[in-house]
Amino acid sequence: MKIRIFPFSVGRNTHPAGRTALWRMVSVLLLLLTSVLFGGAAQREPDKDTTAIIQASYIYNIAKLVEWREPALRRGPFVIGVLGSGNLYQELVKKYATRSIGKQPIEVRKLPETQEVDRCHILFVPEEDRALLPGIMKQANARSTLVITDFPDALASGSVVNFVTAKNTLKYEISVVNANKQNIDVGLTLKQLADRVVE
Amino acid sequence: MTMKRALTILLCTLVLTALAVAQGDLLGKANQKYRDGDLKGARTLVDEAVADQVLARSPELWVLRGFIYKDLCKDAKGEEADVLRDEALASLYTAVVTDSTKQYTESSVPAYYYLAKTMYNDAAHALNDQDPARAIGLYDKYGEALRRMAPDTVITERDIEFGNALGTVYVKLYAQDRKRQERYDQAVDTYKRVLALDSSNYGANYNLATLYYNRGVYNIQLITADNDIPSIQQIQEVSREFFTLALPYMLKAHRMRPDRKETILGLEGIHYSLQDDEQSRHYRHLYEELEHDERKEKGQ
Repeated sequence: MKIRIFPFSVGRNTHPAGRTALWRMVSVLLLLLTSVLFGGAAQREPDKDTTAIIQASYIYNIAKLVEWREPALRRGPFVIGVLGSGNLYQELVKKYATRSIGKQPIEVRKLPETQEVDRCHILFVPEEDRALLPGIMKQANARSTLVITDFPDALASGSVVNFVTAKNTLKYEISVVNANKQNIDVGLTLKQLADRVVE
Repeated sequence: MTMKRALTILLCTLVLTALAVAQGDLLGKANQKYRDGDLKGARTLVDEAVADQVLARSPELWVLRGFIYKDLCKDAKGEEADVLRDEALASLYTAVVTDSTKQYTESSVPAYYYLAKTMYNDAAHALNDQDPARAIGLYDKYGEALRRMAPDTVITERDIEFGNALGTVYVKLYAQDRKRQERYDQAVDTYKRVLALDSSNYGANYNLATLYYNRGVYNIQLITADNDIPSIQQIQEVSREFFTLALPYMLKAHRMRPDRKETILGLEGIHYSLQDDEQSRHYRHLYEELEHDERKEKGQ
């Protein structure tokens, strides 16, 4: 006995989508991944700026481990001034602007890139503004200011804390000499955790 | 031959013939119901026929059963459809191996491969629905189905495509809920399996590098005001491991396609996070050059 198979068309057996569909999906997902993860190089997104995130955390911790001898700086807002480096400013505002150092609420200020800076407890001068540092140090407003930098030989220009790279991580070096000149007492912990201490 | 023996043989022949007619009738009825579109009725009859030892040896039965189950599968959904498709595939395979004269090959083999391909497509749909477990199950069955029919079948290219898509789904699931560490591990394992098949696969190299890089970045993003200096340093050391893992895969992807901006951006980001300003600047410069060339080409 033979069975005839009728209602079957080979056309219905053709592969409906197959490789093309999967490839299209892979391509879309790959593109999505790319755009989400790296963004544009022209300006690094603040939340991808790992250096800014780490620097901001260090700055906050440094603020907690240092004392300002000048009585006027022990009251009112605790001012952190940032020259340039928009991402560091944004990170400080995002995570630390609602915090206090002792009883002094933190105020983060983005400063214009000039030598005439506001009086700050802490002033961050990035590498792109290194030329401004000697001028800033001569200003009366820089008195008792803890200057933090991120470029080579900055301690020689008066910086108190300078970010350095060690084994592919960000650390800091500290000049107790410069701190003393600025009437700032550096805590023992801050010295112990530094990559280098100039005393 | 005695009269008695002759009568016995005649009787046996009559009984066997009657049985064969009855069996044939069962198949005929099943076929008629199938042709009439009564798939459920056809299924009942064909399953009844399968229980018969004589009929179970005939390829006709298995071809018919395969087609009945195949058509039933089209109207079913979810697990029911999967079960029906498995039955259809098993029946069509049995039809092929019992069909010594290759009388039904033209029908059974294309139908078998059609069903196998629907499993592949359903695996792709499951990936779209971000259901990796179902996708893997279907893709594995797809491979098994192909190898059952032709043991020498090699689907490395498909394995790579599927692996890349699967890895990307795991990455998306991990991005949705970073507490689910297993999703991250599954993504890493999946891309590594793709690279074991094809170490020069651009997508797997790029995606694995990106996965490691992002893990390192995410670790740093978790820094809060509660972190003291020793913990900042520990976090950096952990992230450094991820950035270091990312680097060779991103470099490989970049060397494969030096004109792709995403790998240049990736290398710029990895070196930046490794505090390697010189290399980071190098890739930033490369990226800007590429952008400049592109703008020039577009006449902007």
